[in-house]
Amino acid sequence: MAADSAPVIAMRDITKVYTVGGEEVRALDGANLFIHEGEFVSVIGPSGSGKSTLMNIIGCLDVADSGEYVLDGQNILQYSGRQLARIRNRKIGFVFQSFNLLSKMTAEENVELPLIYQGLHLGKRKERTRLALERVGLSDRGRHKPTELSGGQQQRVAIARALATDPAILLADEPTGNLDSKTGADILRLFHELHEAGNTIVLITHDERIAKQTQRCIRIMDGRV
Amino acid sequence: MVFQSLKMALNAIAASKMRSFLTMLGIIIGVTALVVMVSLVSGATGAVTSEISSLGNDMITVSIRADKGSPLRLEDLDAIKALDAVDQAAPSGSMNATAKYGYSDAMVSVYGTTAAYYDIQGLELAQGRFIKTTDVNNGSYIAVLSDEAATELFNRTDIIGETFTIAGRAFRVVGVLAKDDSLMSGMMSSLSVYVPFTVESRMAGQPYITSISISSANAQDMDATEDAINRFFMKRFEQDEDAFSLMNMSSITDALGTVTDTLTLLLGGIAAISLLVGGVGIMNIMLVSVTERTKEIGIRKAIGAGRGSIMMQFLIEALLLSLFGCVFGLLFSWGILEIVTLIAGGISFAMSPSTIALAVGFSSAIGLIFGLYPANKAAKKHPIEALRYDG
Repeated sequence: MAADSAPVIAMRDITKVYTVGGEEVRALDGANLFIHEGEFVSVIGPSGSGKSTLMNIIGCLDVADSGEYVLDGQNILQYSGRQLARIRNRKIGFVFQSFNLLSKMTAEENVELPLIYQGLHLGKRKERTRLALERVGLSDRGRHKPTELSGGQQQRVAIARALATDPAILLADEPTGNLDSKTGADILRLFHELHEAGNTIVLITHDERIAKQTQRCIRIMDGRV
Repeated sequence: MVFQSLKMALNAIAASKMRSFLTMLGIIIGVTALVVMVSLVSGATGAVTSEISSLGNDMITVSIRADKGSPLRLEDLDAIKALDAVDQAAPSGSMNATAKYGYSDAMVSVYGTTAAYYDIQGLELAQGRFIKTTDVNNGSYIAVLSDEAATELFNRTDIIGETFTIAGRAFRVVGVLAKDDSLMSGMMSSLSVYVPFTVESRMAGQPYITSISISSANAQDMDATEDAINRFFMKRFEQDEDAFSLMNMSSITDALGTVTDTLTLLLGGIAAISLLVGGVGIMNIMLVSVTERTKEIGIRKAIGAGRGSIMMQFLIEALLLSLFGCVFGLLFSWGILEIVTLIAGGISFAMSPSTIALAVGFSSAIGLIFGLYPANKAAKKHPIEALRYDG
């Protein structure tokens, strides 16, 4: 359905080299990757294969050493730190393995946070926060703090936070890694629902069974896709 | 955005109240020291200054040091009085002598003067009369005593018509001054006896005028009066400015002002140092806080907080800590000053708006300056490394 549209993510010859203890480590070595709008893609690879690096670059947390990366029509590589923060804020929704919610804030406030950084007005923020929480089925838990929620609920809050800004892609890094299999399956079901609603989702995992459930599976090995 | 940062900072401060309070303590102590010291000095200065001006700010005293062969006589005073800027002029010769009444005696200051002296000095009679011009012309042996002198010598103050001796000569009492309980009279000797100038000059063996008290016709413009008198004496003493000196109360007030300004600066400086130490405390805690909250910074950055937002958040937190400290400090100093005012009686020690402004300004500056480094450190953190941090 979306194969003929322009790719949301277009990576060409991306290389990232880390220097660890005086030795060069090629985390990514000429990686190419195209993801189209509305796709549900999983990136799979063993640990150390460069998938974290790939995710950091896709998520604009890091910048590649060489190559070309076009995200939603914008060429990322020559952007400054400030512009990258803006892109992260507006185009990307992160879902982490360890949820990464701010423990001192309520679920609502956590979801609202990226909208605050967008500079939205209070009324609009509240509306979007409410919608996002509704979508993950946690409307009644808005006033709870993360510590008062179960792991699955925390991950749902994190997904709501990612959805709140209506991002171009949803980037999930092992979203089920810290959950038991039943809640993990619940979360995956939520991802499928979101996919059907038209979201572009990139799911990073090392679990074949999870990867199989997605539309397309990208394997990464030794820094190559 | 600023409002949101403010809210975040407030939450962070409220999240660890004890630590926030301890961090503020440095600023609280600093502000209290600053405000209390400055207010105490300015309160005391205000009290002394108002005492001095109550002595008569329209008075100028001229001392003659060298007569240049043409000494000043009583007749010369008429020429001074004739000046437009001058209201009245009176000589004031003075000597110390032993006064005796019956078996009691006392060392008194004897002032030889004329009738005008009463108004110039703003004296007040309790009973009787002051020296009259005829007393001066006739060289009458009459005396007016201060309340203290009367009490010392006679043990009572209803002594009109009594006779006592000064340096062996008999004087009749014609008046007693009212008791003067101002601050200044306590500092100066008040066993004073006023006699006609002609009598005092004969007894002291100094027939000429060496000291003159002059009251200005226009108290608002003392400089003009001083100028006029200065010009008169310059002419009188052949342009020799060393032959005489002018002194008025406002020059004393000015001198006092210089002293207290220096004192304020000194005490304020010491207090400012303790504020500075408080600032270092804030920086210390903010640095710890930034490290502790590395993960939080990472999350915020991942979901799109730019350097500016993070910087603002921590800077405002430091600023708020400092300002809260300042507010507590001001409240604390207000309490202390109220208590001091209660104890001191008479003198009121209040915080002036400028002192408050100084304290608030100084605290904000310190919060900003010492918050800058931690805030910058937080803003510079790399999102990936910050996210990986386990705290």
